[in-house]
Amino acid sequence: MNILTRSRKLISVFKSSVLLDRTGVLRSVCSVAKARKDLCLPPLFTANVPSCQHRHHVSTLNLDTKRLYSEICTESDESTKSTGVFREESQEMERDSSALNQRSPEKFTIDVLVSLLRQENAVDICVIKVPEQITYSEYFIVVSGVSPRHLRAMALYAIKVYKFLKKEGAPDVKMEGKDAEDWMCIDFGNMVVHFMLPESREVFELEKLWTLRKYDEQLKSMPTETLPEDFIYDGKVTK
Amino acid sequence: MALPLLSRSLAGLLVESSSITHQRTFSVSAVAAAIQKMTRVRVVDNSSLGNTPYHRAPRVIHVYTQNGIGKVGDKVLLAIKGQKKKALIVGHKMPGDRMTPRFDSNNVVLIEDNGNPTGTRIKVPIPTHLRKHEGEYSKVLAIANAFV
Repeated sequence: MNILTRSRKLISVFKSSVLLDRTGVLRSVCSVAKARKDLCLPPLFTANVPSCQHRHHVSTLNLDTKRLYSEICTESDESTKSTGVFREESQEMERDSSALNQRSPEKFTIDVLVSLLRQENAVDICVIKVPEQITYSEYFIVVSGVSPRHLRAMALYAIKVYKFLKKEGAPDVKMEGKDAEDWMCIDFGNMVVHFMLPESREVFELEKLWTLRKYDEQLKSMPTETLPEDFIYDGKVTK
Repeated sequence: MALPLLSRSLAGLLVESSSITHQRTFSVSAVAAAIQKMTRVRVVDNSSLGNTPYHRAPRVIHVYTQNGIGKVGDKVLLAIKGQKKKALIVGHKMPGDRMTPRFDSNNVVLIEDNGNPTGTRIKVPIPTHLRKHEGEYSKVLAIANAFV
């Protein structure tokens, strides 16, 4: 009952009918970690208004383009209130996991990944559900860290947890960007995680690209390419 | 029987060549072997280095593979605007494996020494089989807009 009322509040905040479909998904996806979602929503309301507005703007754009698949879930863990909340919730999570020891996650799902990122005090977790037309992955996650060391520690911990939870014969996952200190990424098949420092995150704006797709501002500002005057089209392909 | 067929095909060819008359003053060679030293490449990201005009096209000066042949996913060293820059090949004119896309131009994305892309967006379609290759391609795939 609780989660139903909370989800209705979410709908009123975003004012989009798209999320009516999504609540079903939310409920099913978060069935294991209900407590986490409940405690998530209060910080969402007290979150920075500009960011909320930006997300709202994005969701309406998605309506216009009839792309009903992208689901944006931003959680900024910057406020001190939220850290208090998450300390409580981590204890709750432990209680939950100890109670449901038999049902501890056997698969490395998106829930496991996001919960471990929260546990690692990741800043600005952004989970984007990639539409099925783009055959890249299902979930695209961008995470910020406090320092390069923090990013590296988060990435290595994620790989450790994956190795612990994976079955025999599943391919190993390697971390890309070991020599780059500001951007690391891990590709787990159905999920891709990017660990960036806030500065490079501002430069690349991956969340904007992956939610707005072709309506992205940086793409629009790229000049359209025109053929040069002396262009000769060689239609024949010799093999 | 054969003569009228021959003449018909010849007539067709003549008609074709006359409609697409572009008088060339130089010869154009066919596709050689993927990307190697001295190939001119097309930079497809939105970096300033790749997009500002220069009187010389960017050329490959070194291919970081065992043999000097560069295919999709290989790193190369380019000479752009009088400076050296590393780049990643994202498409070439040479036909590759079956069911992999072949591009009409040799496309390349500029990369830093630590593997970070220099530009921030790529408009040109990027092949998705890059994902299966061994190497660090997630960053380039993350800034790509279109996939093939």
